Amino acid sequence: MKELVEYVVKSVVDFPDQIQISEVNEGGTTILELSVANSDMGRVIGKSGRVINSIRAIVQVLAAKQGKRVTLELLESDDRY
Amino acid sequence: MSNQKREIESRGQDVDAAIAAGLKQLGVKMSDVIVDVVDEGNRGLLGIGSRPAVVRLMVLSSQAPPPAKPAPREEPKQEPKQEPKRAPRQKRSEAPRTARPARSQKPARPADSGDEWTEEEHSTEQILETAVEIVQGLLEKMDVTATVSGRLSEVDDVTGRQIPILDINGDDLGALIGTRGETLNAIQHISRLMVGHKLKQRIAFVVDIEGYRTRREQALGRLAERMAQKVSSRNRAISLEPMPPHERRIIHMTLRDDKEVYTQSTGEGRRRKVRILPKE
Repeated sequence: MKELVEYVVKSVVDFPDQIQISEVNEGGTTILELSVANSDMGRVIGKSGRVINSIRAIVQVLAAKQGKRVTLELLESDDRY
Repeated sequence: MSNQKREIESRGQDVDAAIAAGLKQLGVKMSDVIVDVVDEGNRGLLGIGSRPAVVRLMVLSSQAPPPAKPAPREEPKQEPKQEPKRAPRQKRSEAPRTARPARSQKPARPADSGDEWTEEEHSTEQILETAVEIVQGLLEKMDVTATVSGRLSEVDDVTGRQIPILDINGDDLGALIGTRGETLNAIQHISRLMVGHKLKQRIAFVVDIEGYRTRREQALGRLAERMAQKVSSRNRAISLEPMPPHERRIIHMTLRDDKEVYTQSTGEGRRRKVRILPKE
């Protein structure tokens, strides 16, 4: 799961080395927490969230295959604004 | 999966009134919502046949960036006669990443800047090769067994261009297409970005799975013809179900020279749909 997100995100950002993904389990649901460089946030979100939602759709395919519930969250760093 | 938490529908005499009523109900500002015009409403004649305007307001979650244009966006009416050379596959406002020939490739949004987009064009072979490789990698990570092959589309009768197409074939790929091709579109969107990032150039290509797009295209063409007949025989407008941009385009293109009807799009975002209206 993590590898899939990493594969996608690392090829759309400028700072692939700043990507962090952690998996948290919460009551049967796997939450993937993604964080990227501040300057890459816009790219990963996309216009009206289109990029992140596309990544979510792709993640859902794999999740369904594995019979898991997975959500993908993009973490915002606090000092962003 | 959506990160839009709150969504309401509100009505009013016209679109502005409906939006105002909705904002009041939610207690938020215009800049906090995405507005989707579900129905523009119709005042009718002498009160006959009037419908209220209906809008849907989605409150943006804190994660999402403010939309570029929060106000309902009116697209210029589709009057194909007047702009026979309307070239791009999709409208700019909807598909900023659609490739245009080299010069206009400057990204429009600040979020996209910071990259040096080269002026030089990559050869189609290079694009196809890179795209196939990236999509193969993506499918592998998705645990999907399928073959990916690249080809060029037929020459578009409007733009005169050929677009690279990636065909994904395999068994049981329904899940990869998704409802109304949504997953397929996500795969296409992401792989375009990945390829564009790698080649430092905006790249337009189409991803198809098991001929879904081709079949859908033919079905949409037939649907357009059928509905146009209905519209002209009843002399009443018909709205089709919501469709993504390229599907709406197929409807518009199919009926662009029709003598009896014309087409336009209404609604926003995923709910945008084509209306077929009688001429006179």
